Amino acid sequence: MSGPGSIVSLQNVGLRYGKGREVLRDVNLELQRGSMQFLTGPSGAGKTSLLRLLFLAKRPTRGLISMFGRDIATLPHKSLPPLRQKIGVVFQDFRLLDHLTVFENVALPLRVSGKKPNEYRENVIELLGWVGLSEYADAYPPVLSGGEKQRAAIARAVVTQPELLLADEPTGNVDPALALRLMRLFRELNKFGTTIVIATHDTTLIKKATSPVLVLNDGQLGFEG
Amino acid sequence: MTRKSINKADNVAITTNSLMPRTQMPLRTLMISMTVMCYLASLAIGALLLITRAVDDWTSEISGEVTVQVRPTNDAKMNDKLAQAASILKATRGVTSVDILDKNAGNKLLEPWLGNAEILNQLPVPRLIAVAIDQKNPPDFEILAKKLSETIKGASLDTHRRWQTELTRMGSNLVWLGIGILALITVSAIALVIFASRSALDVNREVVEVLHFVGASDKYIARQVQWQFLRAGLQSGLIGTIAGLATFFLLGISSSVTSSNGLAAASYSLLIGTPDVTFSSYLLFLLVPILTTLICLIAARLAILRILGNAI
Repeated sequence: MSGPGSIVSLQNVGLRYGKGREVLRDVNLELQRGSMQFLTGPSGAGKTSLLRLLFLAKRPTRGLISMFGRDIATLPHKSLPPLRQKIGVVFQDFRLLDHLTVFENVALPLRVSGKKPNEYRENVIELLGWVGLSEYADAYPPVLSGGEKQRAAIARAVVTQPELLLADEPTGNVDPALALRLMRLFRELNKFGTTIVIATHDTTLIKKATSPVLVLNDGQLGFEG
Repeated sequence: MTRKSINKADNVAITTNSLMPRTQMPLRTLMISMTVMCYLASLAIGALLLITRAVDDWTSEISGEVTVQVRPTNDAKMNDKLAQAASILKATRGVTSVDILDKNAGNKLLEPWLGNAEILNQLPVPRLIAVAIDQKNPPDFEILAKKLSETIKGASLDTHRRWQTELTRMGSNLVWLGIGILALITVSAIALVIFASRSALDVNREVVEVLHFVGASDKYIARQVQWQFLRAGLQSGLIGTIAGLATFFLLGISSSVTSSNGLAAASYSLLIGTPDVTFSSYLLFLLVPILTTLICLIAARLAILRILGNAI
């Protein structure tokens, strides 16, 4: 079972889609509260599948997953939303809602949690400034560039200061300078206690950071650093 | 729906768009189908009301009157027998009036079946006595029938019970048919809303996924969709019902209301008749938009919760 400082614990976890082969095999992982790590591996190694398990989009086919002290396998469906509110996710394909403005997209987790616009307005505007999207607050995602969408997606993921942040290729569409700035944002969040997992292919980014690296290879998880 | 307010200090407009894009909802198709169903339901309700009231009127007319039939016999003069029957009837408690129909009046009733009155004069046609009775305090028909048949040879009492029973049975069958049609319309409407709810979630699958990932509960997501269905239901219900009422209104004014006792007059009295009649009519018609709105709201909510509940 998970230790006292553990926020996520995976034991012998396997995952398969339908009747296909296992995309994750015997994965064991312990994420300590307030830790920060990279997740890397070749394409098709199972990074996105592992993230899907961690942001509660899938349940494992076998093995145990414990998150925030709750056993995910036996957790009833209606208990998932409060757990998901503790998790921020940056999707590789951004998943911004095209009919909402950038401001509304970023504020979405706060709106869903029942907060009123007046309560979160200042925070969201400040965050948009931080990611360089102040001028696009009223814009709709279809008019944004890939990098701008990326930043909006990151802002949405961090706006609630989640306990766990999962980012799938968060710097894949931005220039190196902005990538470093976004990494600084992640580190700031990490300093305030957010546990962070960043899935990336960017070896430069990994080398610059001193965080441990989880390596997925053909569905099996190893560790570096 | 978009609400917008601009804070001049920051010059950033705060919009509050609906989380489920209304333009991507299959609401137009739903509204057209629901409007047609509400129109049909209004017609069915109107027809039910017309049938019920017609049967009530007919049975009330029939039960307010009985007929004594006196067949010609060789042993007594017809006029004596009629007078004797009339005196028995007048002496009976619960009889309010006695009217001996003259021979021509009786023959006229038979004319449609047996031909012209001249021939009927040569036939031993029974004579009729129309007897009005007090419906609140009717006579004992069994005793009266026995007394008439025993006292006057060839006399019999027709209480019209058979016709009354037939009419009531026919009316009751038609009412059940109407209720059956309304039930089928309701079931179809529920199925339609469930289908539309599924389509709404399919079309907005990405939105639903994102809402789930940012921590929205199934109930929260259902709320985003159900209000749009509620509005569609209310609009369809009102349009369909108004169209149904307009149909009966046009039917009512399509012919002279004073000269006709047919469908037109009945339709007219349904909507523009005496207040006690129109009040209950409008109350029943009002049920259509209310029930449609509730069906849309509840069926959509339950369908959405069921579908979302099957996700992880």
